[in-house]
Amino acid sequence: MLAGKVILCLCQDVTIDDIDRAVSLGYDHPETIKRFTAAFMGPCQGKACHDAILEAIAARTGADPSSLRRPTARPPALPVRLGILAGGEPADAPPGAGASAEG
Amino acid sequence: MPIPGVARGGLRRTYDVVIVGGGIQGLALAYELSARGLRDICVLEAGYPGCGASGRNGELVRSAFSSVEWATFFDASLRRWRDLSVELGFNVLFTPAGYLVLASTQEELDRCRGFAARHRDLGLVTELLGDREVRELAPALNPELVAGGVYQPDGGFAHHDAAVWAYARAAARRGVEVHPFTRVTGIRTDGGRVLGVGTTRGEISTPVVVDAAGGHARDVAGMAGVPLPTTTHRLEAIVTESLAPFLRPALATLHLLGYCHQTTRGELVGGTEQNVMEPATSLNGSLRGLRDMAQKFVRLIPQLAGVRLLRHWAGIVDVTADLAPVLGPVPELEGFFLDCGWVYGFMGAPAAGSLLAEAIDSGNVPELIAPFSIERLRAGDYIRESSLVVTLGDA
Ligand SMILES: Cc1cc2nc3c(=O)[nH]c(=O)nc-3n(C[C@H](O)[C@H](O)[C@H](O)COP(=O)(O)OP(=O)(O)OC[C@H]3O[C@@H](n4cnc5c(N)ncnc54)[C@H](O)[C@@H]3O)c2cc1C
Repeated sequence: MLAGKVILCLCQDVTIDDIDRAVSLGYDHPETIKRFTAAFMGPCQGKACHDAILEAIAARTGADPSSLRRPTARPPALPVRLGILAGGEPADAPPGAGASAEG
Repeated sequence: MPIPGVARGGLRRTYDVVIVGGGIQGLALAYELSARGLRDICVLEAGYPGCGASGRNGELVRSAFSSVEWATFFDASLRRWRDLSVELGFNVLFTPAGYLVLASTQEELDRCRGFAARHRDLGLVTELLGDREVRELAPALNPELVAGGVYQPDGGFAHHDAAVWAYARAAARRGVEVHPFTRVTGIRTDGGRVLGVGTTRGEISTPVVVDAAGGHARDVAGMAGVPLPTTTHRLEAIVTESLAPFLRPALATLHLLGYCHQTTRGELVGGTEQNVMEPATSLNGSLRGLRDMAQKFVRLIPQLAGVRLLRHWAGIVDVTADLAPVLGPVPELEGFFLDCGWVYGFMGAPAAGSLLAEAIDSGNVPELIAPFSIERLRAGDYIRESSLVVTLGDA
């Protein structure tokens, strides 16, 4: 079924099937689905996908989507280089540094 | 059902043992009690299991501590970590990638030499490394901060959530009831013994209550009229974007008061402490903490300057004056046990669970946990451990 392959969380490649599987295993709370699938844990922390993910959880659990609280988005709002936070000159990204929302 | 294994039904009115707190400590203890054949055990958790420090920590596991008390207890735990996935039937992702306690000055290296000699006497497998060997082991480290260190080849890290889930499922399979979203609001006692607990879902009778409430342990002990000499502190941590492998061992730096590891997914996860750990109960990270972590990690691993921070969070721990846990009975209140005061309570959970289960079941406190009694705190007879990277300042 292709519909299940639809990617909801683009940062971590979490699909509808992944959410269904998490719920059927017993992870049916937004906080534990976050921990089990890594949705909400990527560079955007759910900014792009939280509605879609909460809807998918609601569809599978029968909960009212508006009753589901999105996990707390942690600072920073956008990924920031550690060198900037440390107050020094930002160095060039090392080889192997992944792409993120910042660039 | 926030995680597999939690109870679906209602609370019973009576249990043989009630454990307050569904973090890794409470769950490991419940599993171990049931493994000893005890029945009618429940774990009451105010939120979802793992919502406290157990799901927010740095995931590191070592036994290379300086004192006999810490080193022998945590070594018993480290030995359990090796086979924990098999034992619990769930992959806790324990990765024995090695653990380095980094010394950056001659004084710190001398301290490490002392630990390593003690480890040899105690049968722990560690090595004292010089600067060249540390640079080979961890080439990403700033050479200016490398004087040497103590290396424990079979230390490492595990996945915090997976460990919580593994214990919860294994306990549930043996009949333990783990009740999420159930807060303990009072503890009934009479004539020096425990009678039961009050909860947000009704009253329960029980002869045994264990306080495993993590950052709220002092409040829970207070409900039983037991003053717990602890203070609540916030520990902060960060995670970066995923990177190609650059750091194999887990590490703690004595000089910077920090710890970190590169996860199997490639992120750097770590935290630092400042010279004074201020009492705090907020779960928000602080700007001061963030700046401290950024500055120290960039100094420790210069290539991190160009690496993006993804998230910054905090967790709370309730700590004692000597930063060691409080484990065991409370002399004046029969049936009340403490499993709290944890700062290294993730790595310590496998041993604490089994040894405290033995104490509760047999009535005899095993030798390995006897030093961690509440009496030591009351007497001011503190355990002296000098390889920690958290500090209470002048304590
Ligand atoms: C940033 C950070 C990094 C850390 N790094 C490490 C590390 O690398 N290695 C290590 O070993 N340790 C580390 N620790 C410490 C470790 O996380 C804790 O010592 C450990 O998780 C303690 O487990 P616990 O089960 O006692 O507490 P918790 O996981 O906090 O569980 C206590 C539970 O009790 C519940 N509770 C509280 N009050 C009540 C009540 N009245 N009724 C019912 N339930 C209640 C809470 O909701 C909570 O879930 C770190 C901690 C933090 C915050």
